Amino acid sequence: MRLSALLALAAKVNLPPNYRYGMSKPGSMADKRRNPPWKRQRPVLVEPIPEDSWNVFCGDIVEILEGKDAGKQGKVVQIIRERNWVVLEGLNTHFRYIGRSKDYRGTMIPSEAPLLFRQVKLVDPTDRKPTEVQWRFTEEGERVRVSLRTGRIIPKPEFPRPDGIVPEQWIDGPKDTSVEDALERTYVPCLKTLGEEVMEAMGIVETRRHRKVYWY
Amino acid sequence: MAAGRLITVCRGFATALKGPGRFTFSLLNKIRANINPFHQYKLIHTTLSRKGLEEFFDDPKNWGAETVKSGAAWTHEQLRCKSNEDLHKLWYVLLKERNMLLTLEQEAKRQRLPMPSPERLEKVTESMDALDKVVQERDDALRLLQTGQEYPRPGDWRKDIFGHIIWYKYKQWPIPWYLNKRYTKKKYFTMPFVDKFVRLRLEKYLRSETKKKNLKRRKEKILQRKFPHMSAEAQN
Repeated sequence: MRLSALLALAAKVNLPPNYRYGMSKPGSMADKRRNPPWKRQRPVLVEPIPEDSWNVFCGDIVEILEGKDAGKQGKVVQIIRERNWVVLEGLNTHFRYIGRSKDYRGTMIPSEAPLLFRQVKLVDPTDRKPTEVQWRFTEEGERVRVSLRTGRIIPKPEFPRPDGIVPEQWIDGPKDTSVEDALERTYVPCLKTLGEEVMEAMGIVETRRHRKVYWY
Repeated sequence: MAAGRLITVCRGFATALKGPGRFTFSLLNKIRANINPFHQYKLIHTTLSRKGLEEFFDDPKNWGAETVKSGAAWTHEQLRCKSNEDLHKLWYVLLKERNMLLTLEQEAKRQRLPMPSPERLEKVTESMDALDKVVQERDDALRLLQTGQEYPRPGDWRKDIFGHIIWYKYKQWPIPWYLNKRYTKKKYFTMPFVDKFVRLRLEKYLRSETKKKNLKRRKEKILQRKFPHMSAEAQN
């Protein structure tokens, strides 16, 4: 069983110490092209925002405070936490060509540039203006974001999962265990190891005597 | 077209299996006869199958597919609710699935094609690691209750010849230590002339710790200069 831990170590992605996170996913071809293993750059200064203070999630409506599209509101599509980046849909775009070949110049598409966490602000759903937001606890004990100006709770937005699965429409495949079977509790605590219990259940009787060994 | 080549290889494998005849392990059958197959596992995965090697391959319906649908991995909480027999059976189900996915991965590499749905392998690996962790927890709890020992394998803090204090893990030997030539040749003590080097090593370690602390302080100062509102928020 310890082999599984060894294999897990080998499979983990190793990034160099001052790795610069970009728009591409680390380990992808584009990222390997941009950041080859011998590349050494000065690290980027990133403001250390604690996990508790992070307000913005994928699917939120936020307003841009500064930049080319200042004052516009948009939906958050991607968050890159390592650089405190927020990518909005269709806003703060520059243009680039895609599908270039030797003779063809390619099609021009607008591609979004990331914005910093400090350059966007959450929008209050009631009056659709940017507000300061605080994390507070409800009566039930749920941790929610509360707009400071109006006092309205901003719920966590729905965002489709990256693997494209919609939990409500899921149908179990042939190799999937059903929900009831997976949640069924069959554990009865008793003073036996897994080995002993399984041997009893399978009717295996160990008649071999263990040879005396010295431990040192 | 590219996927079709993978199908032909899989078919080739299957026909090769059926050709020379089935081989069954008699001992394995004895153990299999005692297990009651679980009602929730479909027939392809019950242990009463006699054609062993077909389990290294996926359901023939999925051969040549670009993606295969799969559910989520088993979580720690779900596994903690299961009895030891359930976990034992689940381990082997997951193991066979993992072997099948690894075979598929290797075959895809050989054919230089993308593996259909590689996240299945990650999910199975995650489930098996979670299962291992749960079994370890139960074992640790029992051992602590019955004997009070923290670790499954006995060990000791010892000094080696270089002055390092190491956790020496005991080994199993057929003869006592005073008769064991290989064991007595290894020295688990430090001679006095090594003390000087121990002190030098300690100084080096302290120097590196101070350097790390100073570096951290310098980095903090730079961050404060660049993000002045950070300290105001930290106070709030």
